[in-house]
Amino acid sequence: MSIRAERVPGGWVRIVEPRSIAIGGMVLSLVGFFVVLPPLTLRTWVWPVTLGFFGVAAGIWAVSRGVRRVGWGAVVLGILGMTLGLLALESSVGKLDVVVVWSALLASMLRYATPLTFAAIGGMFSERSGVVNIALEGMMLSGAFFGILAAQKSDSWVFGLLAAMAAGATLALIHAFFSINLRADQIVIGTAINFLALGVTGYFFVDVYGDQGTPEGIPRIPDVNLPLDKIPTGLGEFLDDVFGSLNLMIWLSFVLLVVSYVVMFKTPIGLRIRAVGEHPRAADTVGISVYGVRYASVIVSGILAAAGGAYLSIGFLGSFNENMTAGRGFIALAALIFGAWRPFGAFSAALLFGFSSALAQRLPEYSGSAATLFQALPYVLTLIAVAGVIGRSIPPAAIGRPYIKQ
Amino acid sequence: MEAAPALELRGITKQFPGVLANDHVDFDIVPGEVHALLGENGAGKSTLMNIVYGLYKADEGEILLKGKPVTFTSSKDAIRSGIGMVHQHFMLIPVMTVAENIVLAEEPVHEGVLLDYDAAARRVQELADSFNFHIDPNARIEDIGVGQQQRVEILKALYRKADILILDEPTAVLTPQEAAELAGILRTLKQEGMAIVFISHKLNEVLDIADRVTVLRRGKRIDTLPTAGATRESLARLMVGREVLLRVEKTPSKPAEPLLKVDDVSVLDDRGLPAVQNVSFEVRAGEIVGIAGVDGNGQTELIDAVTGLRKLDSGRVAVGDEDVSGGGARQVIDAGLGHIPEDRHRRGLVLDFTLAENLALHDYREPPDSRFGWLFPRRLIARARKLLEQFDVRGGTPLTRASALSGGNQQKVVVAREIERDPRVLLAAQPTRGLDVGAIEFVHRRLIEERDQGRAILLVSLELDEILSLSDRILVMYEGRIVGEYGPDVTDEQLGIAMTGGAEHQAA
Amino acid sequence: MSESPASATPPPVTPPSNGGPPSVAARMAFYQRAGGIVTPIMTALLAFLVGGVVVAASGHNPLTTYREIFNGTGLNWFFQVGSHDIGLPFSDARVWFPWNVNDAQSEAAFNLQQTLLVATPLVFTGLAVAFAFRCGMFNIGGQGQYIVGAMVSVWVGSSWVGMNHGLHIVLAVVLAAFAGALWAGIAGFLKATVGAHEVITTIMLNWIAYWIGNYAFGQGGPLQNDFNESVPVSNDIAEGAKLPVFWGDALLQGLHVGFFVAIAALVVYWLTLNRTTLGYEVRAVGFNPEAARYGGISVRRSYFLAMAIAGGFAAIGGALDILGWQFRLGVIDIQSSQIGFIGIAVALLGRNTAVGVGLSALLFGALLNGTSTRNLDPEVFQPELAGNLTLMIQALVLLFVGADVLILIFWQRLRRLRPGRSAAREAPS
Repeated sequence: MSIRAERVPGGWVRIVEPRSIAIGGMVLSLVGFFVVLPPLTLRTWVWPVTLGFFGVAAGIWAVSRGVRRVGWGAVVLGILGMTLGLLALESSVGKLDVVVVWSALLASMLRYATPLTFAAIGGMFSERSGVVNIALEGMMLSGAFFGILAAQKSDSWVFGLLAAMAAGATLALIHAFFSINLRADQIVIGTAINFLALGVTGYFFVDVYGDQGTPEGIPRIPDVNLPLDKIPTGLGEFLDDVFGSLNLMIWLSFVLLVVSYVVMFKTPIGLRIRAVGEHPRAADTVGISVYGVRYASVIVSGILAAAGGAYLSIGFLGSFNENMTAGRGFIALAALIFGAWRPFGAFSAALLFGFSSALAQRLPEYSGSAATLFQALPYVLTLIAVAGVIGRSIPPAAIGRPYIKQ
Repeated sequence: MEAAPALELRGITKQFPGVLANDHVDFDIVPGEVHALLGENGAGKSTLMNIVYGLYKADEGEILLKGKPVTFTSSKDAIRSGIGMVHQHFMLIPVMTVAENIVLAEEPVHEGVLLDYDAAARRVQELADSFNFHIDPNARIEDIGVGQQQRVEILKALYRKADILILDEPTAVLTPQEAAELAGILRTLKQEGMAIVFISHKLNEVLDIADRVTVLRRGKRIDTLPTAGATRESLARLMVGREVLLRVEKTPSKPAEPLLKVDDVSVLDDRGLPAVQNVSFEVRAGEIVGIAGVDGNGQTELIDAVTGLRKLDSGRVAVGDEDVSGGGARQVIDAGLGHIPEDRHRRGLVLDFTLAENLALHDYREPPDSRFGWLFPRRLIARARKLLEQFDVRGGTPLTRASALSGGNQQKVVVAREIERDPRVLLAAQPTRGLDVGAIEFVHRRLIEERDQGRAILLVSLELDEILSLSDRILVMYEGRIVGEYGPDVTDEQLGIAMTGGAEHQAA
Repeated sequence: MSESPASATPPPVTPPSNGGPPSVAARMAFYQRAGGIVTPIMTALLAFLVGGVVVAASGHNPLTTYREIFNGTGLNWFFQVGSHDIGLPFSDARVWFPWNVNDAQSEAAFNLQQTLLVATPLVFTGLAVAFAFRCGMFNIGGQGQYIVGAMVSVWVGSSWVGMNHGLHIVLAVVLAAFAGALWAGIAGFLKATVGAHEVITTIMLNWIAYWIGNYAFGQGGPLQNDFNESVPVSNDIAEGAKLPVFWGDALLQGLHVGFFVAIAALVVYWLTLNRTTLGYEVRAVGFNPEAARYGGISVRRSYFLAMAIAGGFAAIGGALDILGWQFRLGVIDIQSSQIGFIGIAVALLGRNTAVGVGLSALLFGALLNGTSTRNLDPEVFQPELAGNLTLMIQALVLLFVGADVLILIFWQRLRRLRPGRSAAREAPS
């Protein structure tokens, strides 16, 4: 049973509501975990265990009152907090410091989150207009490959980025044609596009680059260097570590956030896109071209997802490997759902997933083989997120249904 | 009314695969007139007006606007030519506000790019005030009532400067009071010179509101006549082509012991809010109890609770002597309750299953249809053959897919399936929605027969005529409660008042 | 809403007035009616055609490429019809048989063995997708479920070395099936309880299984072999756990009895769906969950069971591969395996029917074998390229399968549309 408290009494009554208790429990568990880490580094098992325990308790209480989703979420988080807190305790303080250097982690989080942000916002346009886009993964991958191919051949990252976006748009066009005009099942078509991208990029990757892979020295999207260390005291150093030399694409992702929010919620175009996604027939009867709006939205999603992929290859790594997106497109989709199809919500979710990836990258310093297991963390997190732990978000009403023009 | 026709249709023909929806239909309307388009389901009324509105393209014929021929390629053209349409199912976006819905596609802009929400709200308010509508431009559609929503639809047309307004079955979702208010609105608009086309299958309304009426039957125009001097019977005869029984003949009921007991039941809706509050009633063997009410007053949740598809928040439901509260659909079915659900496509039938499989939906788990989980298709087919004959289902054999049947025959399959189990109680929800007159007659007659066999029948319907025609007792639901119990001789007005809480509805 | 006229042919996949999207199961059902076996063949041909265009576009000759591939499949063995004999099992009698099964070493025979060897797990991963589809769910998790089955079977197979052979094999397969059912069951459970979309959950489970496998069999991992620390591979399974080979040389990767298990699985699939009450429920939920619910069927239970059974199928496929010819599982195997994903194309091309999945698995098995490194002459076409070509063909199959309207148009043109006989739309009043 979902609790969307629109007409529930406010104020004090809300605080002792089971749902709020459960959320409180989640907060406690998180606190219990974090106090063990630097800078607090409280070296006792008391905190993670007790606070985590309260988290579990709060969750169970909430479940018994009928608030199942948030309640179970608190339980899970409590257990997680306890375990992770204890694990963190096992290591020596030195290793812990190495692993959790906040500024580096935050910078890393931003880097991992950016392709997700691009893809998620692209997905937002498509889904808000009513077309499910499972193919974000394939569009991202093709952006990564064709971006680096074009950048290498033309010796220009600008051209690479443009080529990537064109590749994404092409795949999006295929998706749009089959899903909109031919009214195919959008998920099957999306899956097909993913396989197609995998096959095409792999094929041409081997054909062009053979065994050696992509060569060195391909022009990369530049970093933006900000003289933040000029700001006095430790704050300046911290800010510089995090924001001082981020890639251009990361800054563009922030711009994209704002622009997409304005377009979607403050302009007539956004209103029409949303109308088409909620009630296409109503939009049709006032003269909006449902097919046109959907086509445009899907193509935009292709362009943005591909840009995210291009960031991966020519902004971050500087090379390409087969299937290098490794499921990121799906994580972006989960971020979108988690963020209730809104740009800032999706961005927060992307940051969360980015953080888990960043953490996973740092952990080899902690334990060699466990690091492999931690690579699964972003996927586990996505699984939990999609299971709707923090309330179910409502998609656009007409999503996934082909529109039939009379 | 000697003005030139605002709109004229000549020889409009429209063919769909397998069906001639409009067959050389003529129609005209002058400014300041209300012209009704009357016909039963499937007669071609909506199709005709959808062609006028640009949603369909006629195969033959022409449309003349103020004497000039026009062709519309989309509804945008129609809108620009001053035609507005209020559809039967509102073309409103629930999560958006009144203002957003009204200005959609003609939004006021600010700095050339940004949507000017304030200007939108202002313009909508001005427009509403000029026609004396009371609406809140910033309210979300899903939060306002149906009568209000309809007014928003009308405003949409007025915002786009319509001078011809088409209303498709506008009172289908309104209470008698709201319908009266609508009639008032239409009269005002009429005086302003608007030409109003009014699609309906309700004889009373047509006689009440319209100046002229055109009757369609099976795609053909039968007659156009002024409503002054016409009677329900004469119109019904034109509509159907034969004498129509407007009320089912039935003998008075002889109710015996109660078979369905609903005791102080409360049910929550999907949002966790109370939808049914402390409802108690009984249905006795050999009687039909009808529950009347405007859609959205808890009937759906009540039905779900009685049939075991929704948890009871409190209270008890008993079928015969068995308490089935909170037992789940299976238990209720086994206790002897049959359910004819309100949407046969979505809930009644698995359209891709064969008729045999559909008819087995309640029985497949038990012998002789299956044993220890193993299914015997031949038994299913044999049973189906018997039932199809018994209930005169046409259009298929036991191996035909349910989707191939017509609506009336599909409903017969559902009815057959439910009745075959010899239920003690039969719950019929909107049993004749979307059916033609012949099928409606069948269902009504069948329900009376089952009543006479000693079953307890609970009828939940939005069609007052149906309730009045069939029920031995009538209960009215309003905001989740039973607010009145009446005998079959109650009047429309009395029911209407009860359906809106007994108070006069707020004036438009 | 008004009625549709009584027509002999079913209406199209456009949803009726209730506004719900047609379920995947309903669309697939429509296929089967619309074209029987012709449409899958047409779809496959179309996919190969477009694939050929890609090959040509990259400068290679599609005809020779395809011919080379075909030669490697072993399907030419079927063309060598003659007068031979075959021994009946469990007796000494021999009966006439048109094909030469006795010469297991000829090149065609060997290739055919390999093709069938690859087709066997494809049947299982195909059924994994198909069964879930019949219940209205898109199971993309076949790969993860397959891996889980492989992992469990390699662990069971390499433990308890002295166990009775038959028992050992059965135990490994049963435990693997259970594990796969559980793995897929997570997705089914989430869908049943909170409505989580199975596409995303199964994909996530794929990756989680992938990383668990990498961890378990990697260097220092708990299931890594006891002999060589630098090699990220499991222990070999015991001799007694290996499946007997019935055609070909056991030392040269002959065809094992798992092939018959695959055929049995197809039969079980058909029987379950069409002759059991569970199958009735699964199909009802797949076509119309609302109506199923109103009829008293527990939709949630069906979702969970369908996913679990699907996972079980895929996992058995994994187990049979390990016990039949792989005998060990390494990190490289986990990283390069695609069997689960190909199962999606297999199921869709086969229209989720038993016969369809069987034939489709054969087709893809042939394709995979024909494009493998061993068979394809790099002069004609590089095997790595060919692998990707296979991927593209799969994608094309999915694209064309998804666009059923194309098929509908084509089919209607072929049958020369008559009004009243055509797929009628519900005409509004």
